[in-house]
Amino acid sequence: MRSGRVRGVGVLGGLLLWLAPALAAQAGRISYEAFTLPNGLHVLYSEDHSAPIVSVDVWYNTGSRNERPGRSGFAHLFEHMMFEGSAHVKKGEHFQLISRAGGSENGSTAEDRTNYYETIPSNRLNLALWLEADRMRSLAITDENFHNQRETVKEERRLRVDNQPYAPAFIDGMTWPFDSATCFAYAHTVIGSIDDLNAAQLSDVQAFFDTYYAPNNATLVVVGDFRPLELRRFVNQYFSEIPRHPDPPPVSCAGRLGPGPARRELTDAHANLPAVMRIYRVPPHADPDTPALELLNVILGEGESSRLNVTVVRREKAALGTQVAMNPFDSRRGPGVLLALAIANQGVDPLKLDTLVSAQLDSLRATGVTGDELTKAKNTFRAGFIRGRETTLGKAEELQHYDMFHASLAEINGDLDRFLAVTADDIRRVAGKYLDPANALVIIVKPAAGGAAQ
Amino acid sequence: MRRAALAVLAIVPALGLSAQGLPTTPPKPTRLAPVRFPPFKEAMLPNGLAVVVIEHHEQPVVSVSLSFRAGAIYDPAGKEGLSELTAELLSKGTETRTAEQIASTIEGVGGRLSASSAEDFLTISADALSDQLELVFDLLGDVTLHSTFPTGELDLARTRSLSALALQLSQPGAVAQRFFASEIYGRNPYGRSATRDSYRAVTVEDVTQFAHERLRPAGALLVVAGDVADAEVRDLVAKAFAGWRGAPPSGPALPAPVTRLAPEILLVHRQGSAQANIVAGNPTILPTDPIYYPGRVASQVLGGGADSRLFLILREQKSWTYGAYAALRRHRGLGYWQATAEVRTDVADSALVELLHQIDRIRTDVVPDSELTAAKGFLVGSFPLTIETPSQIASQVANAKLLGLGDDYLRLYRERLSAVTALQARAAAARLFRRSALTVVVVGDGARLYDRLRAIGPVRIVDVDGKTLTPGDLNPLVATVTLDPRQLESRTESSQVVVQGTARGFAVADITHVGDSVVYSEHAGAGNGMFDQRTTVVFSAADAAARRLDQVMIRQGTKVEAHLVYAGGRVKGNNLVPQPDGSVQQVPVDTAVPPGIVDENVAPLVGSSLVLAPGQTVRLAVFTPSEVATKVLTFRVGQPETVVVPAGTFQAYRVDVTGPRVPLVLYVTVDSPHRVVKQEFVGQPAVIELVK
Repeated sequence: MRSGRVRGVGVLGGLLLWLAPALAAQAGRISYEAFTLPNGLHVLYSEDHSAPIVSVDVWYNTGSRNERPGRSGFAHLFEHMMFEGSAHVKKGEHFQLISRAGGSENGSTAEDRTNYYETIPSNRLNLALWLEADRMRSLAITDENFHNQRETVKEERRLRVDNQPYAPAFIDGMTWPFDSATCFAYAHTVIGSIDDLNAAQLSDVQAFFDTYYAPNNATLVVVGDFRPLELRRFVNQYFSEIPRHPDPPPVSCAGRLGPGPARRELTDAHANLPAVMRIYRVPPHADPDTPALELLNVILGEGESSRLNVTVVRREKAALGTQVAMNPFDSRRGPGVLLALAIANQGVDPLKLDTLVSAQLDSLRATGVTGDELTKAKNTFRAGFIRGRETTLGKAEELQHYDMFHASLAEINGDLDRFLAVTADDIRRVAGKYLDPANALVIIVKPAAGGAAQ
Repeated sequence: MRRAALAVLAIVPALGLSAQGLPTTPPKPTRLAPVRFPPFKEAMLPNGLAVVVIEHHEQPVVSVSLSFRAGAIYDPAGKEGLSELTAELLSKGTETRTAEQIASTIEGVGGRLSASSAEDFLTISADALSDQLELVFDLLGDVTLHSTFPTGELDLARTRSLSALALQLSQPGAVAQRFFASEIYGRNPYGRSATRDSYRAVTVEDVTQFAHERLRPAGALLVVAGDVADAEVRDLVAKAFAGWRGAPPSGPALPAPVTRLAPEILLVHRQGSAQANIVAGNPTILPTDPIYYPGRVASQVLGGGADSRLFLILREQKSWTYGAYAALRRHRGLGYWQATAEVRTDVADSALVELLHQIDRIRTDVVPDSELTAAKGFLVGSFPLTIETPSQIASQVANAKLLGLGDDYLRLYRERLSAVTALQARAAAARLFRRSALTVVVVGDGARLYDRLRAIGPVRIVDVDGKTLTPGDLNPLVATVTLDPRQLESRTESSQVVVQGTARGFAVADITHVGDSVVYSEHAGAGNGMFDQRTTVVFSAADAAARRLDQVMIRQGTKVEAHLVYAGGRVKGNNLVPQPDGSVQQVPVDTAVPPGIVDENVAPLVGSSLVLAPGQTVRLAVFTPSEVATKVLTFRVGQPETVVVPAGTFQAYRVDVTGPRVPLVLYVTVDSPHRVVKQEFVGQPAVIELVK
């Protein structure tokens, strides 16, 4: 159709850019301080007085990877229990206290971490810290609340997974590259199965709390409008008497690249359109190949000018849309997945769609990326890097991310340089290494026969 | 563990901090810094374009939005989707740039540019690092004034919109909102949605004319927020939009929305839905109506968040849902309110009754002080959280200006909410939440929901495409199964159970006739006697109606039995229910079932005996003893395939069966009698193959 024209302007754009990039050398920089209480609670904080609000963000070093066979989904179910009351907070009171103070709060569970956070007017920093301290010290675990939250989580699974097209294939697909025997950590889903949720016992809740919800297994981050001395006073008063627990047992995952190509076909009773997912194994987040993989991701699938959009969506008209993601729930300290997804337009054979998608992946391996594409990817990444640090909660999550997934927290302010140093050769090398067909799992999702709308 | 604690041990005492321990009650607020809405500059250009500049220098970013009164309500009848397609095409080619050039230019510098259409407004948005402001304005001016709307791009956009519609119709929440809008607004443009036909009706001439008429400066709003200077923005605006003039024609007169005299339930039948999506509500007020403030407080008490009644009762008390909320929504014209919950199918009636009760309660009872204080505390206190970034500030300002909320809206917003009294909140609830004329939409499995909902109010049924259904359509074959005697001739079939390529078990089935009954006996086993099950189902040879089920199961030496009798519209006896720990228990059953119901154990046999032609869909109402549930199974017949099993090579239809706990695929011979030669279970490694 219009092949060839895209290059002309790209070169010009690239030139313009390299002429004027100096702007944001310091942009997105986060200054921070750190201290650790004697009980092992690690605390990071960063002042930001641009708005009268503050974010409190606690990460526990646990997630679905700490579950055992037969208890998939338990870490997330446990996360729900953290909102059900503690020694001095009645059921429902956590929501009430935060909300009445004008704050917002939530929590989430990923493979490697579970987070709990509040963003609140800065004069209620003490309240958010007090609530986090009370539930870190003393969770209120009752049979009634446990039953209630188990049913709630089952409805969450139905809402987000069982009643949605593609969702079951997606969450199961993320686990299939891993073998239960060598890496149960990533071989099961975060949301878990209904059967495993049914099998969970009240005693599991106390055991999980005792093992993983200890100050020495958590990091508290506070970002926003506060005075450091006051923060230290609150933290010391509220958290320092919480006892340390023995360190949790380590989790191992022996993932390996390229065990040979695998292919699955699934029927999706809720889908109206076929879809294709290609799933590749990738290394832990701290691996030196990660920056090149992230930029490859942008070139392949981010934006209107990405390879998949220009070819599969626009020129071939084969897909309604495409998406590429690495570890969509959060980063991992163990091996992860890179996913390329495409939902077919009506009447397009999913096998043809897969051929078109894989042709783009093959071309990255065979011929690498252009200079323009690399420049675009770096600029896109840089903009995202800055945008991710606009809010107090965004900064808090960045601090947690670098603290948990990077070799050193100090990388939080130097990481952009690692991305800007990536070369086209690096990208071609990681494409060759990870986008190898022997490292791929291909899932073809077909609507149940007769289910397709015209 | 990860870090040395030594430094801290030194620091903490040095600061003189003594631990007094955790207080037993929530700490009191400290002093609250005054909250001011960030300053911004605004100007009205001679051509009628309003320009707002929000200088915010914390990060080197900029967000730009340009909004026109050109949203979906301006689509001509029969061309719904025109505004959406126009928005999509704005960035897909100008007099000097192709679509791919536009994309690579803005994305090359790490920015984004796109346009989208909502009900009232079509908005072109761009984000970039602030050193690219000039490029952003160059592109913004180009796509606004010089778009060419190429035919090929319209074809592509239409193809994608049609597929996106198919995708939307597979998502229950989107289906619910689509029907809810059309139910409450009727022919009012806020109620319309694009359809396959309306997308197909849009031409390039329509798009060109729509853009030419409606994308005019008068009445439009440009908001620029971020690390920019007001003077620089004004220069760029003058350059990018030089010579731009004109006003859009006034919009069409909006017909009145539906006036209901009594509550009504629309059941949208979605076969096999795992939940029921409930939406209830009605049209409300114009955005400038001052009842908005007490209405907002009432809506917050009812369902504003995790501290609100619907969430605390439907989720935290009853365990029926993951979330239940209520919200007031504003349009430039008449707005609406809605309460939503996605609930377990078998409690959909209880959940709806409770939801209606809570609506009654907030309309009639005065909200207690504690709840009023809580709701206002959230609404007023959380305001600073919504203006943290320049793009958030921009969207607050844009919202106030586009909806015509007045120059003092943002300044007085918190004050006006603070002043709301309990009596005002009740009066607003009584006026805004029209309990006696409420629209309720429920998306879910109609066969399991119809009777439950009918007990609450009059129910109309449609399918996901909007086609009217009758209750009989939900269980279409219950009354009309007519068995062909040739399909159920007496025979014996032996099968093997194959797990990941290895035979792990067997099943032998006998079909015999006794009087006017068919007797189906099956003996299945696996693991050298570890598992052994004998099942006998007796059913009517005329219409497959179940008469009796007897089942004896031995698992790891433990024997359990089930005996059920179907008679007089009930099923009674003992059945077997699998337990979470893997064991199986006998449970007494005495429950009503529709007349003519089929026992699920013989559903593959009965379903395949009805199968005739590719493309056919057969629905069968069955009773599932292990779940004590009545369900509708759907058999969708695909094309014949060549299937090779130990019994031989067969031409067999692929038949997808949805509705059972584990959906399955049957391969049914084209030749009569239609025998099942292979069964696959979706997501399970096991396959059953005919041996002889």
